[in-house]
Amino acid sequence: MFTATPDQVQLVFSIIVIAVLLHVFLGACAYSIMLERKLSAWMQDRVGPNRVGPKGLFQPLADGLKFLLKEDYTPLGVDKALFTMAPGLIMLPAMIGFAVVPFAGLIDITGLVSLLGIAQANTIYQVSVVGADINIGVVYLIAVGSLGVFGVTLGGWASNNKWSFLGGLRAGAQMISYEIPMGLSLLAIILISGSIRPMTIIGGQLDGAWNLMQLPVAAVIFYTCMLAESNRAPFDMAECESELVGGYHTEYSSMRFALFFLAEYFHMITGAAFFTMLFLGGWSLNPFGGWDLPVEGAWWMGLIQFGVVASKMFLLVAFAMAIRWTLPRFRFDQLMRLAWEGMIPVSLFVMLMVSFFLFMGWNDYMWAGSLGCIVVIYLILPFMPQQSDPNHRIRLIGSRFSPVEGDSAGEQFSKASSG
Amino acid sequence: MTILALDGIISYLPVGVIILMATAFIVANLVLTSIIGPSAQGAVKGLAYESGMDPIGSARKRFNVRFYILAMTFLVFDVEIIFLYPWAVTFSKLDPRSPESALFLGRIMFFIATSVVAYVYAWKKGVFRWD
Repeated sequence: MFTATPDQVQLVFSIIVIAVLLHVFLGACAYSIMLERKLSAWMQDRVGPNRVGPKGLFQPLADGLKFLLKEDYTPLGVDKALFTMAPGLIMLPAMIGFAVVPFAGLIDITGLVSLLGIAQANTIYQVSVVGADINIGVVYLIAVGSLGVFGVTLGGWASNNKWSFLGGLRAGAQMISYEIPMGLSLLAIILISGSIRPMTIIGGQLDGAWNLMQLPVAAVIFYTCMLAESNRAPFDMAECESELVGGYHTEYSSMRFALFFLAEYFHMITGAAFFTMLFLGGWSLNPFGGWDLPVEGAWWMGLIQFGVVASKMFLLVAFAMAIRWTLPRFRFDQLMRLAWEGMIPVSLFVMLMVSFFLFMGWNDYMWAGSLGCIVVIYLILPFMPQQSDPNHRIRLIGSRFSPVEGDSAGEQFSKASSG
Repeated sequence: MTILALDGIISYLPVGVIILMATAFIVANLVLTSIIGPSAQGAVKGLAYESGMDPIGSARKRFNVRFYILAMTFLVFDVEIIFLYPWAVTFSKLDPRSPESALFLGRIMFFIATSVVAYVYAWKKGVFRWD
């Protein structure tokens, strides 16, 4: 008679977890588009979608069906192979990212296994609720997350449209720029946890305080980079409709366009799961260390843990949406300056602070180090070289910038520009 | 805490499964929409959409060299960060204030300092100025 070893049970369970979660997240994606429309309606004092089904709840289904029924058009003059591949190239990394994120701890399924009649005698079957519990999980996540830049850049280039081309270039430059502060703030977490295995990172936060409490600066940088990586507002430079029509997906229609759209939301959900794991301690309920939910438990404990993780992710996604409808879009030069002249030095500084504190053995005083970082940054800031005003004002005669005698505004401008 | 996990290459099998499933989802969607959706061609319909104007020339043109320079600067930093990951895992396991730990910290400080020199040079040269 066949009996399964714990390793085999874990493997089958992992594949089931992946199959279930992929569908859950695809549904969550569709409904987060709905949530975004409702949230924006709420913030702008509108009603939002409310016609399809009760309270408009079937709207995502109607949207999906409409995308399927539309014409999948390929304009003349595009690079056909790349044009077809690009939506897949952006959707695939977005979909496979969450495979290494643990959504609950170890659950005991000995009862279930013996019910199936494949249990070995005197063996406890404990499985972890994670797709692939690989020991380089964090590196996998950041590697897969940054693959999305291929889809965006190739989609923009293949379209043979000047707007798409510019949008793809801008999105590519933006995504690679924001990867560096993301990697550096991740490094601070790795230094604190001493591991790049997701389960160990969460375990450390269950025993002690959340990483958010220890490294708030790194958390803010990471969240901002997460928004930039998924091309969310205020970093949706690639698709800013006021300058570039639709950016890199101007020429796309039907399901290919829907894949670009879905990938953005999928990236956001994966990013929220990543942030929950790194900074919010997974299913940890206590931010300050001490009592917490256990790592091991029965199946219902696993459900509670998944509920905690899912609600943290929901809050993070809703926060990203609130940011989108609150902040105006950055200009491209501001965006680049924020990444290269702002976030990279700051995240490098935080990382050096963490390694120095680790060297001195002050592991419990990381929060003081983070506060020190903020103070030092504010002290240095006034001495940094200021960039000249990049707004090129045109001196039209009769305008307030015209250098006409007696025009005080015009005189001020000519002084400022000559001096 | 106890960690129960698979070891070796078999632990990557679920990653392969999810890649297959995601590919199947994408291909199925693209094939389905090209079967179900209508299809019509036309000379004007095939033009690139550039705000309603007839496109002048192709989009395969030379573009600003800043994008190249930025990508090269990115490469310097990305490779640096990749080198820092194994260092971070090892360094956090060393005893605090031990000579070994000081050696590790000193070496990585020198390594970071070399790329900070490159960073300051790029900043002074105006790589990060896009106005």
